[in-house]
Amino acid sequence: MAYLSMGEAHRRITDYLSRFCDAVSSQDAATLSALLAISSNFASLQAPADALNVFQDSNQLVNQVERYAQFAEILSPLLRCLQSYRLGRYSDAYVAFEKAANAFLQEFRNWETAWAMEAVYILALEIRLLAEKADRELSSSGKNTEKLQGAGSFLMKIFGALAGKGPKRVGALYVACQLFKVYFKLGTVHLCRSVIRSIETARLFDLDEFPVKDKVTYMYYTGRLEVYNENFTVADQKLTYALMHCSPNKEANKRMILKYLIPVKLSIGILPKQWLLEKYNLMEYNEVVKALKTGDLRLLRRALREHEDRFLRSGVYLVLEKLELQVYQRLMKKIYVLQKQKDPSKAHQLKIETAVKALNWLGMDMDMDEAECIMAILIFKNLTKGYISHKNKVVVLSKQDPFPKLNGKPVSS
Amino acid sequence: MDRETNRPKKLGFRPSKAPNPSPSSSSPVRLRPREEAKRDSTSSIHERRNPVLDEDEETGSPIFSYLVGTCPDMCPAKERQQRERLRDLSVFERLHGDPSRTSPKLAVKKFCRTMSNAELQEVEIRPLPVLRSTLKYLMNLVDTSDQPFEVVHDFVFDRTRSIRQDLTRQNILDDEAICMYEEMVKFHIESHKKLAMCYTKTDLASLCYLNTEQLMKCLATLFKLYDIHRRSSSLHKNEAEFYSFYVLLHLGGKIPQMGSSLSLWYRKLTLSILQSNEMRFSMTLIRYSRLGNFKRFFTRLEAEASDLQLCLVEPFLSEIRARAISYVNHSGYKLQPYPLKHLSDVLRIKESELEELCHVCGLETTMDEAGMKTLPVKQTSFSLPKLGLPVHSLSTF
Repeated sequence: MAYLSMGEAHRRITDYLSRFCDAVSSQDAATLSALLAISSNFASLQAPADALNVFQDSNQLVNQVERYAQFAEILSPLLRCLQSYRLGRYSDAYVAFEKAANAFLQEFRNWETAWAMEAVYILALEIRLLAEKADRELSSSGKNTEKLQGAGSFLMKIFGALAGKGPKRVGALYVACQLFKVYFKLGTVHLCRSVIRSIETARLFDLDEFPVKDKVTYMYYTGRLEVYNENFTVADQKLTYALMHCSPNKEANKRMILKYLIPVKLSIGILPKQWLLEKYNLMEYNEVVKALKTGDLRLLRRALREHEDRFLRSGVYLVLEKLELQVYQRLMKKIYVLQKQKDPSKAHQLKIETAVKALNWLGMDMDMDEAECIMAILIFKNLTKGYISHKNKVVVLSKQDPFPKLNGKPVSS
Repeated sequence: MDRETNRPKKLGFRPSKAPNPSPSSSSPVRLRPREEAKRDSTSSIHERRNPVLDEDEETGSPIFSYLVGTCPDMCPAKERQQRERLRDLSVFERLHGDPSRTSPKLAVKKFCRTMSNAELQEVEIRPLPVLRSTLKYLMNLVDTSDQPFEVVHDFVFDRTRSIRQDLTRQNILDDEAICMYEEMVKFHIESHKKLAMCYTKTDLASLCYLNTEQLMKCLATLFKLYDIHRRSSSLHKNEAEFYSFYVLLHLGGKIPQMGSSLSLWYRKLTLSILQSNEMRFSMTLIRYSRLGNFKRFFTRLEAEASDLQLCLVEPFLSEIRARAISYVNHSGYKLQPYPLKHLSDVLRIKESELEELCHVCGLETTMDEAGMKTLPVKQTSFSLPKLGLPVHSLSTF
């Protein structure tokens, strides 16, 4: 680092402080935001950060000048944060930022208008990013990671400041999404519930008043939750909304949405085209789709084994496992169609033995009892219409539409 | 506000993340009440909630500093005297049946949610060796007591909770802790089955629920201990089996929600656990149950379940069997009643028990000309009774 004189260092710091105070007095949210975006590493932040390592007594500087001193609770820790971040001390940077952010939130509460909303967004984003960095640092030195949890608490505070009547509400969805990201990362996803309740059922908000991009993010996360809880109809609605309203150039985001939407669509009997999987690099679903199309159970099981780790991590494994019933249905339908071609008058009588043979041929180890069991569940779930004569070891299919399609509805419970 | 914590001279120093505390006199260690939901990062590092062992984080238990216990008995003397005075002694703690007298060999420390500003002395906390022997005593009581099981369960339930509390306060996280937690999980699993067996008692549903809830709390803490253990070595020898218990719990319809679905829980597991035989087994059972493949479910269960896994699963079998009965009832041919013998083979249940289960679910059974019991199908009266189902074990053939 080039030699920095005391004078120059002093100048840089006061420059930063002045810009902050000017931004507040002229209600310039954009400038303010840039000053708070610690992890962005803007050159305009690096400069004062370097200076702080030379000019040690920034606290005194803040307290001595009146216009800075009125924001001392924000500025002193903020400077500390800049300095720590520059030195790569992320845990310290987080702690300082949290202090500054708390103080800033206090001021924000007192401002009547929502002029500083953009800055609050930055606050919400930064607290999470800095916490993540801090926890990584703590974890690599074997310490307990608790900063992200703290960030979650602070985000709830911001959320509280925005909820209610008045122009500040427009930021609530953004903050809610930051909270989702934190909870998903921490694995404490159940905490999303209270946030969702505040947004959706407490009637404090009308979803239409939020910016579209926030709604997309919101629908993405809440849609994912519905997938985990296997509420496929609602999941379909939410994730489809997210996909439809996602910016056309945000390919990565679309991919993330599709990763969850595809299993949902499969569960309601809608198959994606191959080109979609290729375009968005979701080929892990390719064999699953093929299995559903051909009734090849072996293929489904193989696909689940091969990508097991990936499916477990994204949380769709159990959803995909359930597709087995639809694959069985497809296979039975194929047998029925073949029988119909051979002898239409007898086609509706499906010997259980035939099903066993077909599955054995596919390499699946199956006996009469199990085949009967599967047929019983297919009938129970309305994937097959007919009845089983246990005595005669035959399934008597309905003459009308014995294998009804799902047509956008999930398999009945 | 005075935030000083004094750490008197300790026996068996339990290393914590705090730097060396200053030597001091033997004044009692203060418990700090919880001030706010948010953790104040500037507070003294002596004061923090135990992030690993605190089971009651949802309920907001106080922030402790790590203590080192010196109580030599299963129950601190002060508590013994107090409970003698108040005649608050369990039947197991009474000396010669006297409700106002106990002894160090009989009294066991109770679980109590500490209130704010209570002063807790080291002499009221039991150190590890005492906790170990206390647990042994309690487990022995379960095996040997003549008292009705619900009474024994109630006592041991509470007293083991207190043991866990003392472990938390002393931040004991090592192999010893793992051993003890595993014992306690075993107790809850065996209780789970024993309680379910007396299903006709009306208050048993809540007892079962509470037991399952404690079981899940124990498991949650045990998993955190395993995590810590894994940082310095490989999988603990019982780890896979204990993880499989959590999965198998989801076979039951009415378990207390730990807040997230199984899908979310799988996300956090390491590959080595997911690929273990025990986990594969339990995940496959879940699959068969969800798909309704009761044939495979029972054959696999019979073939691979360990004693404890079976113990855990058996109370759930009735509901699974009831579902199977409803599938058969729904999909059968109305002119051909279904043979109970065959169904009982598949469902691994005695024919007489299957008949009972059908009746409890509102279905009639009949006999055919050959004298074989059958289930007429397409009955419309099937329903799962509110009070629960009788528990029948796995009948092997």
